[in-house]
Amino acid sequence: MSAKVDTSIMKDLKHFGLKDAHKCFHCGNCTAVCPLSTPENPFPRRFVRYIQLGQKDKILHAPEPWLCYYCGDCSTNCPRGADPGEAMMVTRRYLTSLYDWTGFSRKFYTSEKFEIIAILAVAILVGLGMLLFNTGNPNWEHAHLNSVWPSHAIELADLGMAAILSFLLLTNVFRCFRFIMGDLAFKIPVKIYASKLKELIVHTLTQKKFGKCTDRMQWFVHLMIMTGYASVFLMVVVFINGLTIENLKFQRDVIYPLWHPWRLVGYYSTFAIMYGTTYAIIGRLKKSKAPYKNSHPTDWMFLILLQLTTLTGIFVHITRLVDWPLPTYGLYIVHMMVAVPMLVLEVPFAKWAHLAYRPLVLYLLKVKEAYLQEQPVGAEEVSAEVASAEAVASE
Amino acid sequence: MANAVTQSILVVGGGMSGLSAAIEAAEAGHEVYLVEKNPYLGGRVAQLHQYFPKMCPPYCGLEINFRRIKNNPRFRFYTMAVVESISGEEGNWDVSIKIDPRYVNEKCTACNKCAEACTMEIDNPFNYAMDKTKAAYLPHDMAFPMRYVLDPALVKSGEAQKVKEACPYDAIDLDMQPQTVELKVGAIIWATGWKPYDATKLDNLGFGKYPNVVTNVMMERLAASNGPTQGKILRPSDGKAPQNIAFVQCAGSRDENHLPFCSSICCLASMKQSTYVREQLPDAKVHIFFIDIRATDRLEDLYRKAKKDENIVFFKGKVAKIEEDSATNNLVLRVEDTTSGTLHEITMDMVVLATGMQPNTAEDAIPTPVSYDEYGFVSALGAKPGLYAAGCTRTPVGVYETVADGTAAALKAIQSIARR
Repeated sequence: MSAKVDTSIMKDLKHFGLKDAHKCFHCGNCTAVCPLSTPENPFPRRFVRYIQLGQKDKILHAPEPWLCYYCGDCSTNCPRGADPGEAMMVTRRYLTSLYDWTGFSRKFYTSEKFEIIAILAVAILVGLGMLLFNTGNPNWEHAHLNSVWPSHAIELADLGMAAILSFLLLTNVFRCFRFIMGDLAFKIPVKIYASKLKELIVHTLTQKKFGKCTDRMQWFVHLMIMTGYASVFLMVVVFINGLTIENLKFQRDVIYPLWHPWRLVGYYSTFAIMYGTTYAIIGRLKKSKAPYKNSHPTDWMFLILLQLTTLTGIFVHITRLVDWPLPTYGLYIVHMMVAVPMLVLEVPFAKWAHLAYRPLVLYLLKVKEAYLQEQPVGAEEVSAEVASAEAVASE
Repeated sequence: MANAVTQSILVVGGGMSGLSAAIEAAEAGHEVYLVEKNPYLGGRVAQLHQYFPKMCPPYCGLEINFRRIKNNPRFRFYTMAVVESISGEEGNWDVSIKIDPRYVNEKCTACNKCAEACTMEIDNPFNYAMDKTKAAYLPHDMAFPMRYVLDPALVKSGEAQKVKEACPYDAIDLDMQPQTVELKVGAIIWATGWKPYDATKLDNLGFGKYPNVVTNVMMERLAASNGPTQGKILRPSDGKAPQNIAFVQCAGSRDENHLPFCSSICCLASMKQSTYVREQLPDAKVHIFFIDIRATDRLEDLYRKAKKDENIVFFKGKVAKIEEDSATNNLVLRVEDTTSGTLHEITMDMVVLATGMQPNTAEDAIPTPVSYDEYGFVSALGAKPGLYAAGCTRTPVGVYETVADGTAAALKAIQSIARR
């Protein structure tokens, strides 16, 4: 099997945040110190090697970048300061751009200017849209959002957005699936795919692999952001109009009593996201630990948008509580101008996309494993493949 | 020669490089003072089992040097002494030396009566604290000077009087005080050598936590007949002969978190030590885990020989983590085979960490401004006229290079005075 060498990869990956991978002298310390690296799926050194050797195809088909949660043990213990953890992070950014068929993700990662302009453009569109499309008859006596933008209309917009998002993300997810599974993709019976679905759900909800990292704080912070974000996403997208049930509506003008589940969930989400993002922002500013030492512009954008969305949400909540109509409506527009670009751009094209790729890859590995156990012939093919990969790596 | 106030030379450090420098200078006709921190001369070499290139026992080389000292009236030395201050300039240095009390004077015949009377024990520094020695002790069998030492803790204790009275030659002086000696010298040679990098700093490798993880300098003592096991290579936890021994190269070396440089000798030291193992334990299997093997010039033969040995496995990959199986005290090494890209967990009976050489000047600087390199070695750039570094104070080297370097330093010192 020939190995194609992409000589430009090292230079290209600089745009994705690669800095120190050239310093690696391949002692293997990182792979052996990593608590998540296994004999079946060893990393990260292999990827530093692929990067140095321009092995783009090897990277494209590899599941390992998604098995790394960037606890930073490899970088802390690296004798050369080659920062293998960062190389894995860069590989994930690179893979996100390779999975994306639109080419948008690549632009987003490689040009800060493009990233900012894209977000501003969507924000302005949203702002203009909200100014143009409303009931034209706001309630100036009381802060009643439904008098300006009725929840059923927001729900429609939500569904439109969700459809576009899902289309983009799922087409990229499909490409990821093809790259990871290769020839096996449609050879494996649906039965096996179905039998392992539980893995997908468990990994999505618990991220239990992350808990195996030495620094469990990172897992906790990540869980806070994930659960906070997921619950608020459910409320604003699925329950914005309460599935037409009055007492399930997230956006309604009569404020729920304090004990109402929506208020409690809302407060939890707000706290969880603010806690998680503040911890990460302070960490990145202070470079307090290995995973916070190098921040790509998209890392900052992610945290800033998420925190701004939450902050404007808090302000809208306060102005509603004190019943100030004008500030409520104004802040609501700003809130949307931040939240929508974050979702539309980050979910299919940038950092958010990992919410799909990471559990998917873990799931696919389980599927592959189950299939190979049933198919001894297939196992041989794969071990031949591994052997040839090793041969390339050792060249 | 007009400006040199004195033709005498001070050598600091009585290890192989300092001894060589001092003896060569004295034999060239100069008055020489040698200052040594330990109660004996010979330094780290005295603690080896065998040394390169001919696998000689250290006494072989040291004995010759000690005889040259005894025959030379221009050679004076102070043990248990350190240089406290240096002032002046090339050709005219004022040096102040502090000598700690030994509590034993020149009447000592090394009869061992004091040690027999003494019950107090201390960690034996000569054996890197792997065993105990009496608090009234001879530093090691062939110590030069052949004279006992009393530990300060013993002198303070109630037992001191009893030990003093046990000496038939009136050689014990419990009232001995620290002394200061002022010297005027023309040139200074600094040869305070090295120390093994502190392996307890290597968190992941378990030294100090797991008894069967030892360092390479400890391995020398385990193999030496005057060591804690009388020369039998036994693992510390249960005193059994190990069947699987790992040498972990670059334990803290070539690592920017520890010693960023290569000590250049540890690869060969491990190969040398694997010959100790192979000679004593013919069935034992040795694994040498390395990043790169560095076997320079004629010592490459040692590497060639080791590679031919079926019981010595060279495993390319840096050991990242060592964990102990608490039931057996065996050690599990996590390491990637970087040739095949595969991850392994390998169980061993005993692990030897090949720690590097840290210059003593990195932590105890010379008491006069001198330029150092980024690792604490005395730098050749911006060297101070009249003060010369030798041996491992200058760069990490093996024994025979250190001898040559000591001789070179003696010549530099002589030139520095003679040129005037």
